[in-house]
Amino acid sequence: MNRLISFSFWFSLVLVLAFITLPLLVVVAASLSPTADVTFRPSAWTLRWYQDLISQRWLAPFALSVKIAIAVSLISGIIGTLAAYIVAFERIPGGSAVMAALLSPLSVPQIVKGVAIVLFLSVLGLQPLLGTPSLIAAHCVLALPFVIRMAATAIANFDGNLDRAGQVLGASRWQRAQYILLPAIKPGVLSGMTFAFIISFNNIPLSVFLVRPGDTTLPITVINYLEYSLDPVLAAVNVASMIFILFVILAFEKFGGFSAQLHGGSK
Amino acid sequence: MSELDIELVCVTKSFGAISVVRDIDLQIPKGEFVSILGPSGCGKTTTLNMIAGFNQPSRGDIRIRGRSQVNVPPEGRNIGLVFQNYALFPHMTVAENVAFGLKMKRTPKIEIASIVQSSLRSVHLEQLADRYPKELSGGQQQRVALARALAPRPSVLLLDEPLSNLDLKLRESMRGELKDIQRELNMTFVYVTHDQEEAMAMSDRIVVMSNGVIAQQGKPEALYRHPVSTFVADFIGRSNIISVERMVKRSGGYEVLVTGSEITLRAAVAPAQATPQYGVIRLEDVLVLGDTPLAAQDNLNVLEGRLDRVTNLGASLELSIQISSGLSLYAAIRSAEVGILPATGKPIRLGIDPSAVTLLNE
Repeated sequence: MNRLISFSFWFSLVLVLAFITLPLLVVVAASLSPTADVTFRPSAWTLRWYQDLISQRWLAPFALSVKIAIAVSLISGIIGTLAAYIVAFERIPGGSAVMAALLSPLSVPQIVKGVAIVLFLSVLGLQPLLGTPSLIAAHCVLALPFVIRMAATAIANFDGNLDRAGQVLGASRWQRAQYILLPAIKPGVLSGMTFAFIISFNNIPLSVFLVRPGDTTLPITVINYLEYSLDPVLAAVNVASMIFILFVILAFEKFGGFSAQLHGGSK
Repeated sequence: MSELDIELVCVTKSFGAISVVRDIDLQIPKGEFVSILGPSGCGKTTTLNMIAGFNQPSRGDIRIRGRSQVNVPPEGRNIGLVFQNYALFPHMTVAENVAFGLKMKRTPKIEIASIVQSSLRSVHLEQLADRYPKELSGGQQQRVALARALAPRPSVLLLDEPLSNLDLKLRESMRGELKDIQRELNMTFVYVTHDQEEAMAMSDRIVVMSNGVIAQQGKPEALYRHPVSTFVADFIGRSNIISVERMVKRSGGYEVLVTGSEITLRAAVAPAQATPQYGVIRLEDVLVLGDTPLAAQDNLNVLEGRLDRVTNLGASLELSIQISSGLSLYAAIRSAEVGILPATGKPIRLGIDPSAVTLLNE
């Protein structure tokens, strides 16, 4: 019986992993194909589509996406940690209502949110903010719930006696937050910031309303390109993005993000 | 009288309608080792938290070195605190943990280094300065916690059940060390525990709490010899608590009737009230009369019974003796005296000195 359960577990695990990874392998294969049509069984291998990427057409949107993602990750990281600190640590009255409001963007479809933001800006005559500023702001709204959730969970797992120990040793509220709480919740905050980065970098539904013509983010450029042609350059863009995201995750990891979180952090 | 380090004046703490601590009056002179002892829920931790400043008293005043602390936050009280779960900062090394309080006080770096070193030496951990807490055993972690609390030289050290997560052997050796450190530094220690042995072993004074009030306070031997209530008698050491009635004065003492029997007990000391309800006798005061000459038994209460059960505790034996249908007594004798015992189920004769019978009202 146990063997059967164990077998079904491993079998379904392999199926799920295959379902997640095989399409990615197809894209990788397609990006290396010499013919112009997208195929996953190429007759030969080439890197010429990757050469095409080294042009303003793709590098400019990539640079914009990275710039926005970095800004979103930092801003939502700071605001989200502060919000989680006030709600989950200081336990202000009405904290749960504040928390619900902060998490509410999760429940609104992104398309609706995109339309709403455009209307909002034009009603207030703030069209000049379209483009980078509004993209950063909109992506932050989207990313904040993730950062807050991760930070609040880390704070909930924080041993309050550590704070009390700091207090009797003469540390002020600010010193305790800086020297005791923040190092303890760092893995959670960094995981939230990783999510924020990826959410911003990959976003289409919000960005599509907010980009300026001729100055688009990478996913929007891909969509636009797709409307007129389908060739292995797109596959190459996707593979390059995947590799880039992988490096971003590894970089956050290096600072003590994900895996520390998985292993229970510093506790 | 020596100068007072901590004073609690009529301190009450209520959460909503429930008073957790009621009208606590407590004076702790400088350099004293005081234990607050009681079962869980008696209010001892709440009292400690009020001294530390985590809780504000609902009524009354707390003074440290003569100054009222009501509006002083914990970080301004210059006290040390050792937690049951150690509460070491996990991302700091042992040395950084110990240095933390000094760093907060803006002590110069060179001074910090030398104080950290001497603090670690005093708890025998100087080789582990660069380790992280999770690399240490429970006992080592608790020593680091102690060194961290002592390094900024607080005037008072509070300890919240610091030994209860350690195993028995370690607990016993740490007791001695804590007492040595306290005596060496001549620092006021307030030690919260539910373990009466720990309190007896280390304290200059024990404060027994029950249901939010002080049941009794005094030197350990005074509490042991002269408990004021059956609660204290039962909580500190082991006692036979016997329900009694109808006290009459006799020459050289008092006589009470054991409830529900024909047995009378003589007591040498007068009770606080004229109508005692209970007689308390320590286990070791119940003597087994074997070959004792009759003359020596003259001034004892002599009881006949049947030996029910013998429990071997290593150094001592605990006896359970049925005296009558409503009364059984426990006695403790040294293991070496096993020879004077009859077989279980056989008659046995017990003697109790009248001065060992304490008559109590509650």
